[in-house]
Amino acid sequence: MANRKQKSQKGQIQMLRQRTTALILAILVVGFGAVAVRLAALQLIDGPKLQELAVEQQLVDTTINAKRGTIYDAKGKVLAQSASVWKVVLAPAYLKEKDERSYVAKNLSKILDLDYSDLYKKTKENSYYVVIKRRIESDTREEILKFMKRMNKKFDGISNSVVLFDDYRRYYPYNDLASSVIGFTGSEDQGLEGIEYQYDSYLKGTPGRIITARNANQTDMPFQYEQNVDAEDGNNITLTIDETIQSIAEKYMKQGIINNSVKNRGVCIIMDVNTGGILAMVTADGYDLNNPYDLSAEALKEIRALPEKKRASAESAALSAMWRNKAVADTYYPGSVFKMCTASMGLNEGVINDKSTFFCSGSTTVYDYTIHCHQLSGHGTQNLFQVIANSCNPAFMEIGQKLGEEKFWKYYQGFGFSEPTGIDIPGESDDIFFSEDGSMKPTDLAVASFGQNFSITPIQMITACAAVANGGKVLQPYIVKSITDVDGNVVKTTDTVVKRQVISEEVSRQMCDYLERNTTQGGRNNGYIAGYRVGGKTGTSEKLTYTEGVEDYIASFCGFAPADNPQVACLVFFDTPQGAYYYGSQVSAPVFVDIMSEVLPYLEVQAEYSDSEKEYVDTAAGNYVGLTTEAAEKRAASDGFTTTVKGSGDKVISQIPAPSAKIPGDGNVVLYTDEESAAETVTVPNFIGYNVSTVNSVATSYGLNVSLSGITSSASALSTAQSIAEGTQVAEGTVINIEFGESTVVND
Amino acid sequence: MAPFVEVMRQADYNKLYDEQLNRQQRARQRREDDRSARRDRRNRQDARQRRGKRRKPRLFDRGMGLDLPFLLLVLVLLIIGMIMMFSASYPVAYYEIGDSYFYIKRQLIFAAIGIAAMILLSFFNYNRLHNIVPFFCIFTFLSLVAVLFVSGRVHRWFSLGPVNIQPSEIAKFTIILFFAHWGSLFSDKMQHAKYSVMPGIVVFGLTAGLLILEPHYSGIVIIGVLTVVMLYISGIQVKWLAVGAVLLVAAILLAWVTGLLTYAMERMDGWGQALNPPDELWNATWQTRNSLYAIGSGGLFGLGLGQSRQKYLYLPEPQNDFVFAIVCEELGFVGAVIILIIFALLVWRGITLSLRAKDQFGKLLGIGLSSQIGIQVVLNILVITDWLPNTGISLPFFSYGGSSLIMLLAQMGIILSISRTANIERQ
Repeated sequence: MANRKQKSQKGQIQMLRQRTTALILAILVVGFGAVAVRLAALQLIDGPKLQELAVEQQLVDTTINAKRGTIYDAKGKVLAQSASVWKVVLAPAYLKEKDERSYVAKNLSKILDLDYSDLYKKTKENSYYVVIKRRIESDTREEILKFMKRMNKKFDGISNSVVLFDDYRRYYPYNDLASSVIGFTGSEDQGLEGIEYQYDSYLKGTPGRIITARNANQTDMPFQYEQNVDAEDGNNITLTIDETIQSIAEKYMKQGIINNSVKNRGVCIIMDVNTGGILAMVTADGYDLNNPYDLSAEALKEIRALPEKKRASAESAALSAMWRNKAVADTYYPGSVFKMCTASMGLNEGVINDKSTFFCSGSTTVYDYTIHCHQLSGHGTQNLFQVIANSCNPAFMEIGQKLGEEKFWKYYQGFGFSEPTGIDIPGESDDIFFSEDGSMKPTDLAVASFGQNFSITPIQMITACAAVANGGKVLQPYIVKSITDVDGNVVKTTDTVVKRQVISEEVSRQMCDYLERNTTQGGRNNGYIAGYRVGGKTGTSEKLTYTEGVEDYIASFCGFAPADNPQVACLVFFDTPQGAYYYGSQVSAPVFVDIMSEVLPYLEVQAEYSDSEKEYVDTAAGNYVGLTTEAAEKRAASDGFTTTVKGSGDKVISQIPAPSAKIPGDGNVVLYTDEESAAETVTVPNFIGYNVSTVNSVATSYGLNVSLSGITSSASALSTAQSIAEGTQVAEGTVINIEFGESTVVND
Repeated sequence: MAPFVEVMRQADYNKLYDEQLNRQQRARQRREDDRSARRDRRNRQDARQRRGKRRKPRLFDRGMGLDLPFLLLVLVLLIIGMIMMFSASYPVAYYEIGDSYFYIKRQLIFAAIGIAAMILLSFFNYNRLHNIVPFFCIFTFLSLVAVLFVSGRVHRWFSLGPVNIQPSEIAKFTIILFFAHWGSLFSDKMQHAKYSVMPGIVVFGLTAGLLILEPHYSGIVIIGVLTVVMLYISGIQVKWLAVGAVLLVAAILLAWVTGLLTYAMERMDGWGQALNPPDELWNATWQTRNSLYAIGSGGLFGLGLGQSRQKYLYLPEPQNDFVFAIVCEELGFVGAVIILIIFALLVWRGITLSLRAKDQFGKLLGIGLSSQIGIQVVLNILVITDWLPNTGISLPFFSYGGSSLIMLLAQMGIILSISRTANIERQ
């Protein structure tokens, strides 16, 4: 019995040993093994994926906006600039209580002028980044900061719920100046139009980032991981556009639009013919770059008149039309301006020369189709210069025929009409020619010879004109002179690109001569500017195909100066003038003259007056006040003036014209020696309708001075306007401006 | 007479020889007897000396001392655990309480109390625990019932000032104690279902029923596993365990087929779906998901001690059950495996030293307590790796918690006490 018990005890110990071994195996091998496998799977296999997920929630990436680069004009004047503003960001996740939300929403809506209920909705979102308002100015920022102080006093733990971030806003100091060229930016500071769009990648800079490790409450961890990438401010851009020249051009273009009731805006491009740099590019009227979405009053009126459904699309159409840079994006028939190219082609190919003669009967028949000259009676027999001056269509059709379609196409391509010029402005259009490969019907060639029925852009026309003027080099026009980084290092400069030599220098010189004589002969209506040698050509093109009924016109003028050494070219064109005149000579040439008369002195082009011109050149009157009568007379005589002494005193107490006022070179200065005589006046007579010598003699008889402008060198020129109206009482010696115009206008 | 004389002479010689031989033999015998008598005397004296009370134990002694390797393993784990708990807890303590040292200061105090309890209990004769088993069972049962009346979403602990007392923590010890007591009492009858299966079902059923009400599902799992382990080493017939296993698998299959399992998994805070939870469980699975992020971020060598990022409020309560996730993130797979190896050594040493105990009660108690650590390590890590529902299994020596740490170290004291009797020289 005892034995059995002993045996069972022994068995029990044996069993315990066995079962313990099994237990150890179960816990340590199976259990711990499973744990180790699970950990290995998570840490070694899924590790990278899980780590990514972890990092994703731990790191907060904050963007720091880069300051957008400045746009300067050629002289360093600021055209577009970014200034510091702020954006208000809400982190509503911190706002847990209802009274906190309503407090924040109420105050912010008051400060930022926002709707309370909208804002209150935003405070309920479970987010750390809700932009409430962008581009607040510093005074609003101060108010927000004050409010945040109050808020922190009132509530605990919500100090991070309102955050101010740096932001930038774009300012355009000159408002609408060069608006279609500069363009503007959108809400995200991205360029939308013009240079702002074209050079966005340079201007925008690289936004910086702050990558911070945040704890789950989104506050910074006490240490470790903070990676800063500084924002790299955008590059600055210097344009070839000169603010002064641009302003001059805009001033006269605006005036021209008003004077001629122009319907579809006008374009003026001024270009350096030797470099291809654009000195001014006007699309008139422009728009206010600081408020690019404000339409003009007339446009708004038109839109309001529409049914409500159509308003939105009409508004966007009106906006895109307003923003459109007509100088590069619109095409037109160049008309007679193109004749400078046709003549160049003929001369360069040798099919015509200086001695060629042409006969114009008033019309030409091409394949049973009669095409009239603008002068229906015909020009008779003309030499080449007369053909250009008369802008005779049948003569140019003859030149075209002599060239043939192949040559014409070759030169068409050569002048750069068949491809975009490559100017660094967005939205440049292609030309529209009769066919892709240049083939055309004889009638097409005939009308193309005088610039009808094919469309080109204004920038293509002025580039071709520059080639005619500069010795035959077709240039690539450009508008950005250089790009510099924040530290002033040059990132990029634009070099002059000569694409090809399209005509010989010889032909170019010849054409300059013809075109200069054209302006000199045609006077103000052909681009004549006293003291400067200007070459140019008028153009009046029909907006519809030549053979169809004609209603609307484009009046243009393209010219350059000085003709003996061309420096600048200028194209002026008005789309659909609806005033009394629509010819290029009447609408565009005077604007060209006005612009160039101011631009050429600014560019320091030396004026050289011919003897006949000198007579009419104004000079400044000297100061003779305070001198004795005799001394004053002597001094005035030495200055080239005649004098008339009024009164009985010994000393000059006043003079007309006043000291340094403009007075014709041989004008008469009236010297007053006492008070009574100073009160004497004369009545202004009529000066209109006379030739130069009559005007001068009338002025002398009345004791008035006249300053003459316009085509004074031509004997047939008659006065067309006077600055002081007939019948006005003025002091003796007062200067009256008299404008002269050509009685025979070329109506091409 | 001559021939007779010769015969007689010869007989005398023989007789003399025999007598001489006998004398020699007797003398040898006597000498031997004397020697054996002396030996017996000495032996009897020794036996007399050894009988009666336990010899007074010394702290470290080959005969009656503590098991030095086991003690060292406990202390090593305790130190590593404290360091890692500190590292895991200080951001949370800083942000939520404003004192980075909040948890470690308290844990150090608990550890001091626990070590004192461990040393005290190592001198205590564990056999006296026999007497308090009924008391322990009643106390545990009452506290499990009482905790259900504590208000809150879950009813798992009493808050007594700075310490929380978890009755389920006590229940684990009581289960081990009860079955060690039962198994040693009826060691020869354990093959009968009446003495093994029945008390198992009754005790486990009662405890599990109360834990479901708390609810404390992982506690049920631990209690269940401990019950099986205790019955197994006590000698239950394996067929009953097999029957139990089959029933369990059948129940799970049935639940799976009827869709009850998915429902249960959803109820258990999106168990198993931490990485791709449905929207409504995003918050419920937050802790487990961030635990996985932390473990995954650790990779092979970890981010370095103190370099965890997930402890910055991403992983809620990183000082408690999920402390090992931060360990994995900071020390990597290598560090985690080293810690697992130390745990394994502790469990192995604890079980083997318990096997050398002089009585069945000591053996069962020691093995039970040692296994409990191993089981809890395994279950804890399976919870933080989303293989078990997230319902509160702490990691021994690592997790923050006063009552559980003190309790754990006290249990280590009992194992050390068992190691003293195991180290008594064998007869």
